[in-house]
Amino acid sequence: MKMSSRALLAIWVCRLLRTGSRLLHRGGTALPGKAAQKLCPDLLSRLSDNVTTVAVTGTNGKTTCSRMIEEAFREAGVSYFANRSGANLMSGVITEFVMNADAFGRMKKQTAVIECDEAAARTVFGQLKPSVIVVTNLFRDQLDRYGEITHTLSNIREGIRSVPEAVLCLNADCSLTASLKDDGLPNRIVWYGLDAGAARPQTGTLLSDASHCIRCKTEYEYDYHTYAHLGGFRCPKCGYRRPDTDFAVERILSMDDSSSEILFRDPSGENSLKVNLPAVYNLYNAAAAAAAAESAGIRASVCRHALSDFSCGFGRMESFPLAGGTRMILVKNPAGCTQALEYLAGIEKDYVLVVCLNDHSADGTDVSWIWDAGFEMLEPMKDRIRKLWVSGDRAQDMRVRLKYAGLPDERMTVETDMGRLAENLKQESLPVYILPTYTAMLALRGEIVRRCGGAEFWE
Amino acid sequence: MELNICHLYPDVLNLYGDTGNILCMRRRLAWRGINSAVQRVRVGEKLDLTNCDLLLIGGGQDFEQEVLLPDLRAGKSETLRSAIEDGICVLAICGGYQMLGQYYETWQGVRCDFVGALDLYTVGSQQRMIGNTVYRFRKPDGSESTLVGFENHSGKTWLGEGVEALARVEVGYGNNGEDGTEGVHFKNVFGSYSHGPLLPKNPAFCDLLLQTALERRYGRAELEALDDSAEQAAHDAMLHRLIK
Ligand SMILES: [Zn+2]
Repeated sequence: MKMSSRALLAIWVCRLLRTGSRLLHRGGTALPGKAAQKLCPDLLSRLSDNVTTVAVTGTNGKTTCSRMIEEAFREAGVSYFANRSGANLMSGVITEFVMNADAFGRMKKQTAVIECDEAAARTVFGQLKPSVIVVTNLFRDQLDRYGEITHTLSNIREGIRSVPEAVLCLNADCSLTASLKDDGLPNRIVWYGLDAGAARPQTGTLLSDASHCIRCKTEYEYDYHTYAHLGGFRCPKCGYRRPDTDFAVERILSMDDSSSEILFRDPSGENSLKVNLPAVYNLYNAAAAAAAAESAGIRASVCRHALSDFSCGFGRMESFPLAGGTRMILVKNPAGCTQALEYLAGIEKDYVLVVCLNDHSADGTDVSWIWDAGFEMLEPMKDRIRKLWVSGDRAQDMRVRLKYAGLPDERMTVETDMGRLAENLKQESLPVYILPTYTAMLALRGEIVRRCGGAEFWE
Repeated sequence: MELNICHLYPDVLNLYGDTGNILCMRRRLAWRGINSAVQRVRVGEKLDLTNCDLLLIGGGQDFEQEVLLPDLRAGKSETLRSAIEDGICVLAICGGYQMLGQYYETWQGVRCDFVGALDLYTVGSQQRMIGNTVYRFRKPDGSESTLVGFENHSGKTWLGEGVEALARVEVGYGNNGEDGTEGVHFKNVFGSYSHGPLLPKNPAFCDLLLQTALERRYGRAELEALDDSAEQAAHDAMLHRLIK
């Protein structure tokens, strides 16, 4: 599309504001995009015309999955750009496109990996015109912001309606996500998931975000579970069931606290491969990324290799150079947090646990979800948790949650100053595991990076 | 001593950490050497409250409430009404609280008949009432205390003649955002819009429920005091944030 003078003005304003905020050492990506959108409401649509985009949306795993897809592009030698700093609303996506365009609105790279907030999918997809859309899963998350799950689902559905040509990579094990396949939906669908051979014993809470059939409201039956409401679901009444998969983890051969060895099936056949990240939920991210990268034209062998090489960052199982080692695992809703806790419950050495709970709008102002996450899983291992730090604006709530989970209140320290907390962690010789909510992650990560090194978050 | 707790509809009314209320009750009983058992009654399962001392009903999404109406009509409504008449101790939150009332009328005017155990009804609105809350609450001994929580509802509940409000709104909306009332108290039923969950940060209110249930079963009950410094700190932190 030709750039109008309006569009060009929007681009220049956006670049100026972005450069300014960088000079001020702020990572802000929303404001420049917002200003550009005001000046030229269809700017993204103009910029995205000649760009092949993979978009990733869903409740959990967006960032990790996007990074895995990036890794596949990198290994395939594709020149691409991505919105890396969690700027996944319309404004952030616009900023990312503008920063990758020249002053005349010509894109410097023709491929993009774009993480898209599930509530923003409705408006972003139409302008972004992705050729591949990944939906990771749908869980209960920040209801105060998004309303109910079915509302989030219809946001994504509406977004997809505006791009009938896009290939959809959908999680077959999530009954909510799989329901996106409407009668009459013209999009090609690639299904991914964990097959019955990769089933897991059910742990944690009994809670399900989707216990009843989304079509006829009958309770689902399950052939097997993986975690939360994911697994081999089927409705005994209307026949709605988990679709057969094109990309699947067939078996988990081994799993430790840093990686997994799996038997993976893709259209080219079966292969055993290493996923360089721990925990079951990352196997879903891996399968989703392989499905998406191949749908975007990357060879299957390259996609598989990328999963073995992948190392993540930015609060998703991120490590920092502390003496005893660290892992920072972003938590934001019961399903994801329970997965992180299951991972912690499997660690067979002494460690220090840090939980940081904020209630800013990006975290969700309602913190009641911490009671639905399975902190009780830590009780049998409480002797291994040598020290417990609670932090964040709602540190006191977290302290009460952990007390009622059965962890010793006398071993807990409330430290709401992130700088002092980071200083303490730096002195620590034991491994440190940190579970922060989103804004707490940004704050504490900054303090740790300042003291111990690591990448600034917008790089 | 022991108490039998029944959690009604844990499969569908489980939206806002309601299991935290049960965990809170059980821990506070266990710390005093009192046993407890939890029975979970799901959609389609029989509800028998004969040996139940404490009944908990949580909140849910609108989509899930549609699953409940036929299930209530198939016998549970009647069981609930007679148990409540009989003095069973109940904590009902949000959707579960609305459900014990006469009916719910949606914004579009569709009326769903509910259990009808309490003289109150709810009308859907287009206003979402969300946020942290502080309520002023008069204890049975006449002293006043505060309850802190979080509410998120669009239904406006109106109390009839036959019931009292549980508390007065200090910060937040409460029953309807208009008349200053929050929740309901009728016989031994306590209904509230406040999740959060409600009990862990309001330990005295939790103990009131436990005391009520124990007295009903054993005639008399003295609850040993606990170290509530963590709970109180969390309560006070929210109080200080909302009320200078
Ligand atoms: Zn069905």
